[in-house]
Amino acid sequence: MTTLSGHSDAAPAHLARRPNILRQMWTSRADYLYVLPAIVVMLVVIAYPIYYTIDLSFFKTPPGLQLRDKIFVGTDNYTAILSSEVFWKVTLNTVIWTIASTLIAFVLGFGAALALHRDFAGRAILRAILIIPWVISAVAASYIWKWIYHSDFGVLGAVLVQFGILDRQPNFIDNVNSVLPSLIVVNIWREFPFAMIMLMAGLQTVPEQLLRAAKVDGASTWQRFWHVIFPHLRGVSTVTILLLAVANFNSFIIPWIMTGGGPSNASHIWITHIYELAFGRQRWGVAAAYSVLLFIILMVLGYFYVRALSGNESKESGA
Amino acid sequence: MSTTVAPRSRKGVDGWRWAGRIFLVIMVLYTALPMAWMLLTSIKSGFAATQFPPQWWPAEPTLASYQKLLDPQNSVGQDFLRFFWNSLFVSVCTTVLAVIVAVPAAYAFSRFRFPGRKFLFFSVLLRNMFPAVIFLVPLFILMRVLGLVNTHGSLILTYLTFGLPLAIWLLKGFYDNIPVQLEQAARIDGATRFQAFLLIVTPLSVPGIIATAIYSFIGAWNEYIYAATFLTKNEQLTLPVGIQRFFSENTTDFPGLMAASFLMSVPVVVLFLVLQKYFVRALTEGAVKH
Repeated sequence: MTTLSGHSDAAPAHLARRPNILRQMWTSRADYLYVLPAIVVMLVVIAYPIYYTIDLSFFKTPPGLQLRDKIFVGTDNYTAILSSEVFWKVTLNTVIWTIASTLIAFVLGFGAALALHRDFAGRAILRAILIIPWVISAVAASYIWKWIYHSDFGVLGAVLVQFGILDRQPNFIDNVNSVLPSLIVVNIWREFPFAMIMLMAGLQTVPEQLLRAAKVDGASTWQRFWHVIFPHLRGVSTVTILLLAVANFNSFIIPWIMTGGGPSNASHIWITHIYELAFGRQRWGVAAAYSVLLFIILMVLGYFYVRALSGNESKESGA
Repeated sequence: MSTTVAPRSRKGVDGWRWAGRIFLVIMVLYTALPMAWMLLTSIKSGFAATQFPPQWWPAEPTLASYQKLLDPQNSVGQDFLRFFWNSLFVSVCTTVLAVIVAVPAAYAFSRFRFPGRKFLFFSVLLRNMFPAVIFLVPLFILMRVLGLVNTHGSLILTYLTFGLPLAIWLLKGFYDNIPVQLEQAARIDGATRFQAFLLIVTPLSVPGIIATAIYSFIGAWNEYIYAATFLTKNEQLTLPVGIQRFFSENTTDFPGLMAASFLMSVPVVVLFLVLQKYFVRALTEGAVKH
């Protein structure tokens, strides 16, 4: 190999004459070797499951994964889902869960990143403490909070009773009305550090001179934030919010370990519901149809996700 | 480096700074108190933990829960240590493989311009969007075909795929910032393209590789859903599932549960705190800069 064919500056010159995609692929065949391992793993573990799920969603399945006995039922699974009451209940929960967790985690993370941006004694320690919830396992986090919320010995209820705010130990997660907000508090506890890390990284890219110039020109703290810092962080913020939204939409462990979706579906979100349909009630076909609906929603979200990321990408290559 | 140039004549400045401080105090309480309560509970006896009103500070602190969990002589300790070892094995294997697969892929995405590059890059990223639950059944069947059910191999293969997208993304940003002239110089000096990659670029990207490794390790260490589905034998469980199974049988041993949660968190927290500067740096250079 004597050519630098893989590099963009070398390739287009001679390809301009013969814009043949196969030829181009052949010339850069060595490049594919580098991505091959990643692509193979992805294909096996992603493409096949997606195909399989779509296929299964058109079948009625007997319990126990005896999939040879499945019966083709067309779109029955889909109509059954869309006409069920639970579906709408769970969807509403998912919307509340996703939006509330994402926005509050983002705002808290943003605030913490700003407050930690200026150097002061003990900053490193505070930052470390704030990051820990994001690092520990969601299973551990669920147990810690389950214990804090405990209906007899929970410390949170005890504090409220001691201060005279409530007259008896409240029931945080066995109550239809308070369960979802209580779980969202746990979820935010685990997720705001991620927003904080992303935005701290983003803040480091805001040019110091620009801030100083704004200060010299008499901009107030708020004006400097709104007109200098915030526009600089728009790209990071978009990516962070999208990543949080996707992660929240896909959460499973916290509701599953803490309540299992109860009481009476009040804390079921899509993922826990699908899991229960599949592994609890062994209704694989219906669960697969649910998954396909989920795909569709995620593809819409994914469109924005890719657009936000490719915004970064094109700016990169433009620079 | 902060600006001390102008005299702070403006009243607003101090107001905002105070607001920032108060906000930080509230956030630290929100973050730290649950963890502090976990620690305090873990050094109580089972009886002391279930008193009302609670003992804010343990009257008779005891390490009994920790002794029980870490003692290989009794059955609880045996199980816990085995789960711990399983988690460590799976996480280390995943991390090593993730680095081996992600490094060349990220490099190619950063440097080469082959047809379909963008499409492949975004299909890799899209993997991040799909929840584990969707993949459970098909992957379970796939693992049965491959003969990997009830082996740690099934977990390692699966964890590899969900760690890869972010790993590739982070590393790509890192490679984008390494000047291509370095490799060109090496090529002129007679190195092959692969040698330039391995000997010139890879050493420079060590911080990015460390960040990738932390991310993979933490992801694998904390994973729950696949481990709960793919493994059924008690002696193969990893910590998150093992703890859940164990305490669904002993629902009232809160000090034990808190001690186990604490011990489970120690390795990842220590790892992250020691290496966090690489992680933040990788995010700054990869994900955020543009």
